[in-house]
Amino acid sequence: MSDPAIQVEHASLAYRLARSSSGTAKEYVIQLMKRQVSYEQLWALSDVSFMVHDGEVLGIVGPNGAGKSTLMKMLARVLPPTDGRVVVRGSVAPMIELGAGFNTELTGFENIVMYGTLLGRTPQLMRDRAEEIAAWADLSDYLDVPIRSYSSGMLARLGFSVATDTEPDVLIVDEVLSVGDAAFQQKSSERMRKMIANGASVVLVSHNLDTVRAIANRAIWLDRGKIVSEGDPEEVVGEYERSVS
Amino acid sequence: MTSTYYDSDKARRPLVSEIQNIWINRSLIRLIVGRDLTVRYKRSILGVWWTFLNPLLTTGVMWIVFGQFFRFEIDGGATPYIVYLLSGILLITYFAQATLAAGSAIVNSAGVLTKVYVPPEVFSFSAAAAAAANFMISLIILLVVQLVTGVGIPWTLVLVPIPVVAMLALTAGLGLLIASAAVRFFDVIDFTGVLIQAISYLTPTFYPLSIVPDSWLWLIRLNPLYSYLSVFRAWVYQGTMPAAWSFTYMMLTAVVALALGVWVFSRSWKSLVVVL
Repeated sequence: MSDPAIQVEHASLAYRLARSSSGTAKEYVIQLMKRQVSYEQLWALSDVSFMVHDGEVLGIVGPNGAGKSTLMKMLARVLPPTDGRVVVRGSVAPMIELGAGFNTELTGFENIVMYGTLLGRTPQLMRDRAEEIAAWADLSDYLDVPIRSYSSGMLARLGFSVATDTEPDVLIVDEVLSVGDAAFQQKSSERMRKMIANGASVVLVSHNLDTVRAIANRAIWLDRGKIVSEGDPEEVVGEYERSVS
Repeated sequence: MTSTYYDSDKARRPLVSEIQNIWINRSLIRLIVGRDLTVRYKRSILGVWWTFLNPLLTTGVMWIVFGQFFRFEIDGGATPYIVYLLSGILLITYFAQATLAAGSAIVNSAGVLTKVYVPPEVFSFSAAAAAAANFMISLIILLVVQLVTGVGIPWTLVLVPIPVVAMLALTAGLGLLIASAAVRFFDVIDFTGVLIQAISYLTPTFYPLSIVPDSWLWLIRLNPLYSYLSVFRAWVYQGTMPAAWSFTYMMLTAVVALALGVWVFSRSWKSLVVVL
């Protein structure tokens, strides 16, 4: 068996919360002198371990504040683990809060190039692909318009279209399946399915439990930063559902 | 697509990793610099002319006050005061803009850094590089003034990119130092603004070095910006070679600032990103 696409070993992540929050250095120094600075470690994830093999679809469920988004950001390399280890093999398409770095003063075309380059593609590739990316998002007529005149739905479509334009080895999806209107949702979930069929590994966070049941072939229930249970999506999701109702 | 293999255990090699990251992301940096230059003026009437107008206005007023009221003379009147003044103002403006922009770049890019993986130092470096590009554009007015006043353009102009790149290293390094603190405390940026103003007055931009009493010369010499300005002036209009110590001090401070900034920043990034 080849190495797993994603390997998470005893990973933990702490956010440091200053109890008496000091926004400025002056306040900080004053509080430091009064010995009032106390930090609270908030463990968003503690001792999480799992693997995702090639072509596997892992669904992650859990209540708000369970650490799902933190985990996604850790896999996307945005947040380095405080303890433990994360290994991701292959190209990654992080579909977390799409449209990072969109600049409202720039045109659709310029934003496609910028966003794609931020995702690690070359500007040349993005310039070549821009027309098709816009066409796929039904935005061909708006390519040369500053995106400040786009609606939020148009922005979301553009973000999705750029992020999924090339086929990644690993897809990290955080609640972005509900982008755009019904027709676009249809189109975007088709594209996701095609990527999965082509062998991409997927980690998927969704509050839509039916989606998780339908696409995932394994699931993890996360609560307060810990894995509660892991296994068959039908069982794990069922367990989670019973716990909330 | 981010890199094809990520292991959080693989330690970043300080300095080496950062320089690699800058090189790997060079097309992204070019893109960000281009965006900074265009977006800044996109919704203004004067557009890119602000690049010229800003230093020209400052220089105009200071020329009246210090050139006409105070009657400062440079090299016993051999060098037109306006050339001396403008060259100083342009370089100091470059320093101030680059340092502040590089220092606030990380905080300003939080929206990107918390969503996709991009080596954070790329943003500080891009911000400083945008200021450098702006400086190169504004250099045109200095050259025009040199021609108009009969100073001319010496061949040493081709060496000017050396102090420009040294300044880029200095400001990127300082910017990373500031950014390490600014992520936690927003007022560090304001404080930096005050410091920059203070150090600008200690640089002979608008006054001749001859008015500085001997007992205070050490303070001017200690100021790294004086060495940058000396080298820049020597090559941009004097057509001479700068004093060896100026050049050495310039290169030394550039390398030290960059190394220190990168080192401090890469050590603290892991604890910074969670508060971003």
